Amino acid sequence: MFGNHRKGLQIPFAGPARLVIGSPLPFSSPASSRRIGKGFMYAAIERIGESSIRTAKAFYETLAFSSVVFFKLFDRKSFNSAMRMVLVNQIYFTSVQILPLFIVVSILFGSPIVGITLQILKQFGLADRMGSVLMGVVVTEISPFMTVLLIALRSSSAINAEIAVMKVNRELKTLDVFRIDVLDYLFLPRIINGILSVICLSTLFSILALASGAFFSRYILDMSFDDYTTLLFLSADFSDLFILLVKCVFLGFFITLIPIRFGLRATHELTSIPISVLNGMVKVFIAIVMIEVISLLFRFI
Amino acid sequence: MAADAPLISNLDVLGNLALIKQYREDLPKLEAESLVMSYLQRFDLERIAFRRNPALTAEERFCSMLVRAVLVPEACVVIDRPLKIVPDLQDNRFFRDMLTKVSDSWSSCVIIDYPWNRERYEDIPVVDDKS
Repeated sequence: MFGNHRKGLQIPFAGPARLVIGSPLPFSSPASSRRIGKGFMYAAIERIGESSIRTAKAFYETLAFSSVVFFKLFDRKSFNSAMRMVLVNQIYFTSVQILPLFIVVSILFGSPIVGITLQILKQFGLADRMGSVLMGVVVTEISPFMTVLLIALRSSSAINAEIAVMKVNRELKTLDVFRIDVLDYLFLPRIINGILSVICLSTLFSILALASGAFFSRYILDMSFDDYTTLLFLSADFSDLFILLVKCVFLGFFITLIPIRFGLRATHELTSIPISVLNGMVKVFIAIVMIEVISLLFRFI
Repeated sequence: MAADAPLISNLDVLGNLALIKQYREDLPKLEAESLVMSYLQRFDLERIAFRRNPALTAEERFCSMLVRAVLVPEACVVIDRPLKIVPDLQDNRFFRDMLTKVSDSWSSCVIIDYPWNRERYEDIPVVDDKS
């Protein structure tokens, strides 16, 4: 045993110590400086390449996982009694429990925006453009953004932590032992719930904002309720509403799928849970920004 | 059954057990829950139906895991080191009694443990780790 310990302490390839007199070689000549400069450049390029490959790989894996989940959405076998129960619970936790807070936030945030917008339109003599501004900005852009932010802050973080805790506690392995597909039982209900919640709550935000718009249009623009609703209906563009719907579907899909993926990346150590939540939530934010930008580009085109 | 295959922590005992029937046989929730309650009644453990894993004693946890195992159709119950699930067991007949109460629901039962714990499993087939 003692011999083994001595063997373990030996440094492989270590030769006898040598004394070198003179200045160190790397800083002695311009040629060696150039070599070092090249070395740094190669290292930097290597790092950039490595991180690019890593990012591309993660992106590809997310897309592959998304496609698996997407096709599962249309598989009737996935919708068994257990899955439906989880779906109902998830809808309750995400869309119903949040309602009081959501309504208050919608009124507090939506009403001033609509009021200020109408005031500015009146000042610039653009009252006749009120309908298209409300539909184009408040309904199509602000309402899904506010909704997705609230849901991501509240539910995405919870989903990420929940999946990570289940991984740490080996509960996912337990489900596998009993041949319960985690994709069917855990992931699909959460993703469907994400999509439904974003669509429904965005609609609610829009309704509340437009209702406050009716109130403000009466006092600021002296417009009757009938004129206001007629203007809104005339300003509603089908393509904008379609893009809004697609955007809500994508937002709901990715703000639940990404936390699930990052929850699954947790190891069997408790300390991996906060790291997985942190990384997951950053990626959720990036996904929200990307989807918003892409939808804006589509609307612009 | 193993300590490494715990009950799902965000479900109560009833949910954990009903899940097997709901998922594998698409049984409606109420039907699955009444079946689970009938199993819990055999152990006089209806009171734990709405408790979650951390609130259970080791014996209650073992019973819940046993019921979960036998809810699988034509169950072959494999118990990996039962003393890891019930570490402070005083009564040697505990495992036999528990398995007897659901003997109609499993086709075979195997307990895997160290040879020095053999006496704990009297009258129950034991897989010797040497064999």
